[in-house]
Amino acid sequence: FSEMPTHSFVESAFWNFDALFQPQQHPARDQHDTFFLQDPAEALELPPGYMGRVKKVHSQGGYGSQGYRSEWRVADARRTLLRTHTTACSARLLQRLAQQASFAPGRWFSIERVFRNEAVDATHLAEFHQVEGVVAERGLALGHLLGILREFFSKMGITQLRFKPAYNPYTEPSMEVFSYHPGLKRWVEVGNSGVFRP
Amino acid sequence: MPTVSVQRDALFEALGSTYTDEEFDELCFEFGLELDEITSEKTIISKERGDGKAEGASDTVLYKIDVPANRYDLLCLEGLVRGLQVFKERINIPRYRKIMPPKGEGQRLIITEEAAKIRPHAVAAVLRNITFTKERYESFIDLQEKLHQNICRKRALVAIGTHDLDTITGPFTYTAKAPSEIKFKPLNQSQEYTASQLMDLYRTDSHLRHYLHLIENKPLYPIIYDSNGVVLSMPPIINGDHTKISLNTRNVFIECTGTDITKAKIVLDILVTMFSGYCEKPYSVEAAEVTNSNGKTHIYPELAYRKEKVKPEYINKKIGISETPSNLAKLLTRMCLKSHVTGNGNHIEVEVPPTRPDVIHACDIMEDAAIAYGYNNIQMTIPKMYTIANQLPLNKLTELLRTDLAAAGFTEVLTFALCSQEDIADKLGTDISATKAVKIANPKTAEFQVARTSLLPGLLKTIAANRKMPLPLKLFEISDIVLKDDSTDVGARNYRHLCAIYYNKNPGFEIIHGLLDRVMQLLDVPNEENGYVIKAGEGSAFFPGRCAEVIAKGQSIGKFGVLHPDVITKFELTMPCSALEITIEPFV
Repeated sequence: FSEMPTHSFVESAFWNFDALFQPQQHPARDQHDTFFLQDPAEALELPPGYMGRVKKVHSQGGYGSQGYRSEWRVADARRTLLRTHTTACSARLLQRLAQQASFAPGRWFSIERVFRNEAVDATHLAEFHQVEGVVAERGLALGHLLGILREFFSKMGITQLRFKPAYNPYTEPSMEVFSYHPGLKRWVEVGNSGVFRP
Repeated sequence: MPTVSVQRDALFEALGSTYTDEEFDELCFEFGLELDEITSEKTIISKERGDGKAEGASDTVLYKIDVPANRYDLLCLEGLVRGLQVFKERINIPRYRKIMPPKGEGQRLIITEEAAKIRPHAVAAVLRNITFTKERYESFIDLQEKLHQNICRKRALVAIGTHDLDTITGPFTYTAKAPSEIKFKPLNQSQEYTASQLMDLYRTDSHLRHYLHLIENKPLYPIIYDSNGVVLSMPPIINGDHTKISLNTRNVFIECTGTDITKAKIVLDILVTMFSGYCEKPYSVEAAEVTNSNGKTHIYPELAYRKEKVKPEYINKKIGISETPSNLAKLLTRMCLKSHVTGNGNHIEVEVPPTRPDVIHACDIMEDAAIAYGYNNIQMTIPKMYTIANQLPLNKLTELLRTDLAAAGFTEVLTFALCSQEDIADKLGTDISATKAVKIANPKTAEFQVARTSLLPGLLKTIAANRKMPLPLKLFEISDIVLKDDSTDVGARNYRHLCAIYYNKNPGFEIIHGLLDRVMQLLDVPNEENGYVIKAGEGSAFFPGRCAEVIAKGQSIGKFGVLHPDVITKFELTMPCSALEITIEPFV
């Protein structure tokens, strides 16, 4: 797995949410409890052609999808924030990949800081690190995702795994990964995953 | 994720079988739900307000179940039970029907131009001959609240109003009037109020005050009347008391108004599909007619069933299983997506019911098939492609430096990237406007107002928290700071800094200087003109005459020196301290 460039804490709502099909008016956006920025308050530029396609899929559908069929506003996409997940970097990476002349399969990872506007307590911090992995190849299936996750966790000594259906706006199917914690004597969530929506 | 609270015994009774807590947890897990907590009203009250207040509260066991944010059909007991029963193949998927009332007898809602300017959309429907019990009634109210909180975005997008149809006469008018002209007795009040008085009345209401801002400053407030001038509701704030639903209500008129028509339709569909089970003709809903301000009429609820065709190979391949088309159709039917095989057996026709607005693409159908199959039953494989991997150069450099700095006797720290404005400005002797700091608009505490422009405050705060440790304290951090930058597309970027401090009874300028020399030696940068040079410098955080600037690769890459006593005191420290901070990006 190659390391992804993730060299900016500040992101635009476009890359953090809209390019990942997270609806503009949906509580899914609040789920992440974001740090919005006062200064700079707006992103200086967004990729015009790509943005047009994202707008269309949100408001009318496309690529086989019905879309959300709600109004999509550029102003919302322009807002700047501190990234809530490194999937925003994955989105940038995938878009660059898509612009290459020919497709070459690849795998990428990153271990980077993300920010969520939560009250700090024993199990929550406002900033923490996420491990992110992306695999792009022809003919991938859910079984492959399960296999990679199993290998990844077993390298850390976590072998008892269960997978639960979950929901992310940008992946379908999505899975939460649970592992049995012998100390706490219960299953705890150790990760989230999914296959990106077409 | 929204949480639904259901009484365990009522749930098991509706499911027709009992489970142990573990068995039910397992069932939820398979289906995609999470049994978050097992509690009771008594436990909740004693946790929130103390054991004394919990006396006399109910002991009935409550299950708190976490539901995925996009499944509006699982937000109430009725929906959960239906979903689980179909999943377990105990019942068939109910078919929801729209019944057209005899001509001229249907209910009508007319939207006027005034309303169209404020909250332009409305949909409506009727539940005929419904039977309420105390539990069903509470569930009905609960579902409205859940929908309000989720898809309706706290009533901003859609607001739901439910009314006892026998207390009012149609046709209904949805219009807007000046606040002083609106007067009615709102729900659970004993006298009439004007709309302006209601705004004041509810300003202190813990539940309703959050919605006042949606219409408060508009010139006209939305209001729904029946043909006799009786107020049904003032959306999105409150219903009228006259149309209050009770356990004896037999016919319910539902109206949803708002600014997003797609969501209003979804909300109405969910509400009627969930509760039409209790009507005399189960799962049938009486249609109502809505006339827009431009004269066009629509019949609601839509209760649209959409047909999608998917290929069995698509589902099999994307999941990594190989099931026959008829088995796949069975799996989908278990997820409330009624399917059957068509064509020559190479197509599956899937019917998406109105309870599943989350299915918008073939991949959603594929996911449901995987869930029914059981994620944990899918064979795990590794993709066959080989890739060559490498690390980002900047991170590689950071890793190398970290090891060597630790070898030099310094301890690494990891600090927060967010801090207060004072931390990067006043406490370091400068003004906040001189820094190019990124400011946060909605911090929860003062500790997270800005993104750091220097690693120094973090290190100093670490020392302050560790004053009892033996001296000298030698700390370092190699991490990112954030500065505003107009040349990037978002207006800011990160810079990788290296910062080290030495805290002891003597400031240790020579130690910090030595560390810098060591770092440069590791980076293979000689101490001369085309390598790095040290010049006398100034810095507001440094002691005058004890500060140096480091010039390398044609630019100033940082400073080091003895810290000014003011800085030391402001960070609540007492000993002398010297510090070094440089950017390592030019050396990548």
